[in-house]
Amino acid sequence: MKSVSPQTLRTAVVIFLVIGILLLALSGFLRPILGVFMDPFISAQRWLSERFMGVYDFFTLPRDVTDLLQKNAALENEVSSLQSQVIQLQEQLREADVLYSLLDYARSRPQDKYIASAVIGRDPSPFLHYIIIDHGSDDGIQHGMPVVTQQGLVGKVDAVTASAARIQLLTDPGSVVNVRLQNKTADAQVKGSVTGEVTLEMLSQNIDLTSGEILLTSGLGGNYPGDVIVGQILEIIKTENQLFQTAIVQPVVDFTALRAVLVITNFNTININPLIPTAAP
Amino acid sequence: MLASFLAIPVMLVLSVLQMTAVSRIVLLNGTADLVLLAVAAWGVRERGRNVFIWAFIGGLLISFTTSMPLFTPIVPYMFIALFARLFQNRLWQAPILSLIAVVFIGTLFQHIFNIIILQLNGVNIGLLESLQKVTLPSLLLNFFFLFPIYVLISDLGKWAYPEDNYE
Repeated sequence: MKSVSPQTLRTAVVIFLVIGILLLALSGFLRPILGVFMDPFISAQRWLSERFMGVYDFFTLPRDVTDLLQKNAALENEVSSLQSQVIQLQEQLREADVLYSLLDYARSRPQDKYIASAVIGRDPSPFLHYIIIDHGSDDGIQHGMPVVTQQGLVGKVDAVTASAARIQLLTDPGSVVNVRLQNKTADAQVKGSVTGEVTLEMLSQNIDLTSGEILLTSGLGGNYPGDVIVGQILEIIKTENQLFQTAIVQPVVDFTALRAVLVITNFNTININPLIPTAAP
Repeated sequence: MLASFLAIPVMLVLSVLQMTAVSRIVLLNGTADLVLLAVAAWGVRERGRNVFIWAFIGGLLISFTTSMPLFTPIVPYMFIALFARLFQNRLWQAPILSLIAVVFIGTLFQHIFNIIILQLNGVNIGLLESLQKVTLPSLLLNFFFLFPIYVLISDLGKWAYPEDNYE
């Protein structure tokens, strides 16, 4: 039997030792021993890395912050721009809704011709109830033409310039509209006031008036077309010793939120003043 | 001279603002009057002698837009200008106090004048109801807008008369 040389034996022992150490290291038994040797090295590496990153940030971060600030400003500008676009679109949508409603109304009365106009101002005097619209005589608007919305009667054209017109509202203290009750054969007048309150006047005491009744233009007097909704009776004021009964009227149009109106252009007002008899001299 | 010409753009802007925005800010039935406030604020200034030109231009612009009888809005503004000059630095030597007094009396005068003019034109308008529901709320709104207009007009005055800053 051939004897094993001491060198081979030493080599085999070293191999077995290395394999054993590797197995011990892989199975985790050497972690505490390795930690003793590795921890100082890792701490030194961490310290060096932190210092290096500090120096690196010192040179690179200000540029990044500037970039970020610029990007942030650009994004904020974009957000502002988009927000203003959203507001504009919402406004356009609201206007489109109003115009669609007016269009529906115009379609429901095909016998009339209309000009849709935006409300651009109000009378500066708080005693008077007038609005200013953005269409005038250049667009065919004339003095006296009736003005409506999809809800009902607004008033009539009071003054016209080339590109704008002033509308006397139903609520103006100088406004008088001849009306009739929807379900009764009775004529009356609707008058405005300085406070914007609308009252029904000149209605015979014989008429049994009930709240909620609808008032329509009668067409009498030739200032307004007939059968346009004016409002409804809100409260009846009936005193026995008066010739006529009066009532507070709730107009169908919300005059505080008027944004667009329709001017009826094919209605010719009739001046009946020459027909009214005057006292003989 | 510059201050007189300054009245045209200022009154134009204020009257447009009045029609488009301020007349929509309603308290009961009252609204503020920016032209009145501007006339009063310019008139109580020491160098506001040309306030009558301001009042005339303001009144003229309002005349063209309102449905009040033509040129009648000029009268109350001229009265307010006169009143502002009378009160200038005579009421406790403080322009802001003079301004408050001018706006108070001016608003009352303007509204009573308007009520009389409308009644003469056949408009059914009650004096007491108008004073309660239009004049008093308008007075409150005028006081609300008084200080911003005063600051604006003061700055305009300093710009028109820069030598005043060194007095």
